[in-house]
Amino acid sequence: MDERHEELAALNALGMLEGDEKRVLNGASVADRDLRALTAQLEETVSELGHLVAPVEPPADMKRRIRSKIRSSGGPKWRSLSPSALLGGAGWAVAAGLALSSVWLWQEREKLSQQVAAVSKAMASVTPVTPSAEMQEPPNLENELKKLRDDFEAKKAALTTELDSLRKRETEAAARIAQLVAEAEAQKQREAGMKVEIVTLQSKVWEYRRSEMTVVWDGGKRQGVLLLDKMPRVDAGKDYQLWVVDPQKPDPVSAGVITVDDKGMAKTSFKPVDSVGESVKFALSVEKKGGVPKNEGPIVLVGP
Amino acid sequence: MSQPELSEEDLLQRVGRRDTRAFDQLYDALAPRLYGLLRQMLHDEREAEEVLQDGFVQLWERASGYDATRSKAYTWAVMIFRNKAIDRMRMLGRRNRLVESAALEQVTLSAQAPAADDEAQANERGAVVRKALTDLPKEQRQLIEFAFLKGLTHHVIADSLGIPLGTVKTNIRRGLLRLRDLLKGGD
Repeated sequence: MDERHEELAALNALGMLEGDEKRVLNGASVADRDLRALTAQLEETVSELGHLVAPVEPPADMKRRIRSKIRSSGGPKWRSLSPSALLGGAGWAVAAGLALSSVWLWQEREKLSQQVAAVSKAMASVTPVTPSAEMQEPPNLENELKKLRDDFEAKKAALTTELDSLRKRETEAAARIAQLVAEAEAQKQREAGMKVEIVTLQSKVWEYRRSEMTVVWDGGKRQGVLLLDKMPRVDAGKDYQLWVVDPQKPDPVSAGVITVDDKGMAKTSFKPVDSVGESVKFALSVEKKGGVPKNEGPIVLVGP
Repeated sequence: MSQPELSEEDLLQRVGRRDTRAFDQLYDALAPRLYGLLRQMLHDEREAEEVLQDGFVQLWERASGYDATRSKAYTWAVMIFRNKAIDRMRMLGRRNRLVESAALEQVTLSAQAPAADDEAQANERGAVVRKALTDLPKEQRQLIEFAFLKGLTHHVIADSLGIPLGTVKTNIRRGLLRLRDLLKGGD
């Protein structure tokens, strides 16, 4: 605990803190037992200053006003007598007295009930029985009931609003889930149609022993991408030509002329000029410049 | 057989269990001191009465949360009633109003003569507190008294009295810590 927190605890004890400073103190107090203890000590110190003020007797009806206000407030209810206070305060003597009083009161109540029934019967033929002003529910109880009803209605309205909001969010979430499921299904179908394989071609020709040729082949779409590296330069008037070898076809199908750069590298997408099956092989040959419709020259790379 | 007198802490705990008789007893014990304090703070009899009434309603509502191991009943009650008074002053716009520096001199909590009808115990404690307060350096004592009775924020006190904010906070901190030690019986 530092001076800053001591300062906040002191100002808090005097009720001087507002807003952010109050939040800072509360936040720091959560993790600091010493600060909590100091806050309590300083509150006690401040309250002691109250001993310096001369007591003044409040108005005589103040207690009654407070009771009335408690009864009409929505807080914990006022009871005229608590059984624990009766029994705890006066012990068995009071309990015994209470029991005797109860018997007597029960007998009196029976008598009164009989009398009231008789009087009511007599009066019923003359005037309708209506409660007098004194017998009506005290106004503070009516207020309490009204307050409870208002509270109930307010809470009900708040819950209804919250429920509507939750339902709306649930509908939105369901729509979003359906959309995601549809997207996932579409993606799954796309992936099913995409039969991609990666093929590495090799050479048995000495000049091409270091050459690397990779084909990424999409069997579903019958197209691919070719990557060439460390390729020797072809003679003048010659070109590399890529071939797709379909076992169902008598001859390889041309996939186009491949131009290699000065570093012996090439990257190009290709599509066979004629239809081929899904499962194919690839070959690279050296052909006349511009390519030929049917393989003539030497095959330098082949695979898989 | 007479029932032993219950402490204010016992009474407040019973109020927390909705014991109305305990509430009456606690009211009798605390109300004169709290009402005196509220009149001093608010300088208005009607306002003080209203705060006293609201404060006891709040005491009834919150008593179940009172923890006797954490604070005395009197401390707990004073904090409730002082905060209520400060809220009332704020509502009336008095807490942020610029006060005259002369007002500081008018707040002489420590110089108040004890009332003749004070209970013996209250008198005794009052004398101890008064002695401790007068042992503080003047600048600390005045700021604490001012803050206690006027319910002003440190910012308003600094502005009103032309004292640097840091000085106000430091004096209040040092003063209260010292006062705590003195009331505990320290040097």
